[in-house]
Amino acid sequence: MILIGENIHIISKVVSEAVRNRDAAPLQLLAREQSLAGADYLDLNLGPARKDPEEVGAWLVNTVQEVADLPISLDTMNPLAMEAGLKICKKRPLLNSASGKSESKSNMMPLAVKYRTQVIISVITDQGCPPDVDSRVESIMDTVAYANELGISNEDIWVDPIILPVSADQKQVREALEFIKILPDLLPGVKSVVGLSNVSNGTPPHLRGILNRTYMAMLEKNGLYSAIADVLDPELVELNHGGQEAIRKLIYKVMDGEPIDAAGLPERERNYVKTARVLMGEALYSHAWLES
Amino acid sequence: MEYKAPLETYTGRVKEVTLGKGADALKIGGGNILPLHYFEGSVVNRPVVALEVNDNGAAGWAEWVVEPYKDVVSDPVKWARKCLSLGADLICLHLDSTDPQGSNRSAMEAAAMVKKVRSEVDVPLIVYGSGDDKKDVEVLTAVAEACKGENLLLGPAVKENYEAIARAVAENGHCIIAQTPIDLNLEKELNVKLLKQLPPERIVIDPLSSALGYGMEYSFTIMERTRQIGVVFGDVAMQMPIIADLGAECWKTNQARADREQGMHWESITAMSLLLAGADLLVVRHPDNCRLLKEAIEGKI
Repeated sequence: MILIGENIHIISKVVSEAVRNRDAAPLQLLAREQSLAGADYLDLNLGPARKDPEEVGAWLVNTVQEVADLPISLDTMNPLAMEAGLKICKKRPLLNSASGKSESKSNMMPLAVKYRTQVIISVITDQGCPPDVDSRVESIMDTVAYANELGISNEDIWVDPIILPVSADQKQVREALEFIKILPDLLPGVKSVVGLSNVSNGTPPHLRGILNRTYMAMLEKNGLYSAIADVLDPELVELNHGGQEAIRKLIYKVMDGEPIDAAGLPERERNYVKTARVLMGEALYSHAWLES
Repeated sequence: MEYKAPLETYTGRVKEVTLGKGADALKIGGGNILPLHYFEGSVVNRPVVALEVNDNGAAGWAEWVVEPYKDVVSDPVKWARKCLSLGADLICLHLDSTDPQGSNRSAMEAAAMVKKVRSEVDVPLIVYGSGDDKKDVEVLTAVAEACKGENLLLGPAVKENYEAIARAVAENGHCIIAQTPIDLNLEKELNVKLLKQLPPERIVIDPLSSALGYGMEYSFTIMERTRQIGVVFGDVAMQMPIIADLGAECWKTNQARADREQGMHWESITAMSLLLAGADLLVVRHPDNCRLLKEAIEGKI
């Protein structure tokens, strides 16, 4: 699975300060660390980039390209910052992201055409995030058809089902999983991508990793192509590169509904089984899910 | 052809919690059915109704809900006896006078008063602190010690103070009220933590009972889902009985204070709804509503 490093994100204090002060060092360090850790793309999240969008978009892309040889996933809702960044990407970038919102259709999608980028298209519409598999399907069919008309081919589209936190809306975790499974039949040729860490948003920080890793393995089993993820989690990268076979098998067993004697497992394995059961919606989530 | 009713059976069962001791003991929970689905399984214990006694002398209560108690509100023992004569299954003693924001009565005084009530009335007691999470540790610990072995139902234990309260409850032989702010995930988390200190037969869930028009539907949903997750899906951390302490919430609304008849409906409709949602133990203020609920529970209306 393709991993897109998520750690250059404006929500991080280090990143927002570095961007504000145009201080390249902390950002270049993060870029290098993520490259070494095994990222395939680097996500650069600028948020709304209200101030000097064009200048900041170009500056950030240049700063990162000076030290990292990876393609960039440029992540901002500001079309000016997006265009300024895309214009100077050395490798073919990923526009992150467009959606079915009318604003996105008119401002973002044309940039993907103009700069011949690959583009993430999410299931979001003017009505918000669709609540179940069927409405996600309806939304993405419409939006991809629109993109096709603009001249963007399925091969350049990375579909994002929108991952919601298990702590906020447990049912959505399963819906996104189902959606990924049926996506290739709906839209042959498209790729898929998720913002993986969102599944653990709101969960106590020390417990986020196991949720992210377990959900990644589950999504991968259902055919996920790529994830924007915490590549600085070595266990996550190892799992993605085919390691942790025993853990992976246990997670798959939970997904397939096979019986597991969880009590007889070592603690680490048992925790993955508990996590997979929560993500499958078999057990009600609470922050103490590993303790029950 | 003989008609056979399509009945559901469930794998989970609500834990049976015993309140009080000896001949006065009262049991709640224990069923393997959804609320009031007596036709689907065994009726172990029907829901019970408590009337509230407040050690603040009914300060701030609307006159029509004070009226049945008007001669006894200054004396919790007499008030409790009055409640029993008016049909309450048990008494819920609210220690609002201990609130540091109010009269800030000491833990010792409150404990002595609870002990007196306990010795004078022959039904189990529910005791709620003022809801100040720091002061409640002091107050409920003192009550637990003063009434050692009496098997009171003590609370609220919340995220911030559950460890200390659960310790006092465990050491002195009582049951605990696990209170969370209308949130299923937080409710489960607190239950999981409490289960490390107490067996499930000593825990009662309080998901907070909002009044009609003030979020009652949220409380309804949480109670309904708690029961489904415990009974239908067999989640052992969600199989404790539920308490709906709704009197105070209903009688503080403008609607209930504006007019007697409206106030009576406000409390009865909230209570009846939460009974349907899955409450095993309801706390109301007006004796007419207590009677109404008991008739509904016994299937007379």
